Amino acid sequence: MNFDINEVLFQMVGAIKQNVGENWDEVRNPANVFLQNRKERLALLAELLISKEITQERFDSRMEDEKLIAEAHFHAIAVISKAIAQRAANAAIDIFQKAVKTALNVAN
Amino acid sequence: MKITTFNRSFFLIYLGLIISISGCKITLVPSYDAQIKEQIESTSKEIDRFYLTMMDKTTNSEGGRSYEQFREGYINIEVELLSLLKKNRVRPLNTHSTRIGEITLELWRKYKQEHKEDNAIPDGLIKLNMLAMSDLFYAMLIAEKGKELAENPPAN
Repeated sequence: MNFDINEVLFQMVGAIKQNVGENWDEVRNPANVFLQNRKERLALLAELLISKEITQERFDSRMEDEKLIAEAHFHAIAVISKAIAQRAANAAIDIFQKAVKTALNVAN
Repeated sequence: MKITTFNRSFFLIYLGLIISISGCKITLVPSYDAQIKEQIESTSKEIDRFYLTMMDKTTNSEGGRSYEQFREGYINIEVELLSLLKKNRVRPLNTHSTRIGEITLELWRKYKQEHKEDNAIPDGLIKLNMLAMSDLFYAMLIAEKGKELAENPPAN
């Protein structure tokens, strides 16, 4: 199975972007940090293999770890996205509640 | 008489509506817990200190980086990771943070086992382990930040 972690993260972030509106920075900033950190790790990993500090077997094993680390990133971004959705939904409910209360006061 | 009954019914419907919507909140993420955030930060710091000490104060020559030299440090940090995982598991709606905790513990144990089997560890691998752990703890902090964000009303 071909799984491109960068592509999945980009698609995920793109899908979130369409839905979070003004809260986009809350998602974009950590996503950028995740991408930058992975880039740094992959560069170091390649360096360690080239300099023979690690074996091919360990290199492969660490590449597998990258999938788990990416999964952790997706979970973190999922929490941020849900938090934004929760905040927006509750803000809408608050407005509705206030409107009903105002209408009630007017009626009285 | 009919008008009075109509007004009373209308008022009761209104009242019911208010009661039903007051206190009604959507909850998608668990409430923010400052203590967990503090524990994440302190454990992350402990891991940084563990790896930096390993890299700076020891070398692989003459068994300076043998597993035995660091066994206690590995155990202490694993205890913290287990504690964090348990705290996350008991919180409702907390599957995302729980999974991040599981991944962190799994990789911590894996790297510990590698050190145990090799009974040595090169600088490059220490750096790599440190970067991986640092990123996982950043993911934990972002998840906690999300919980904090959910509780703050949006800025107008």
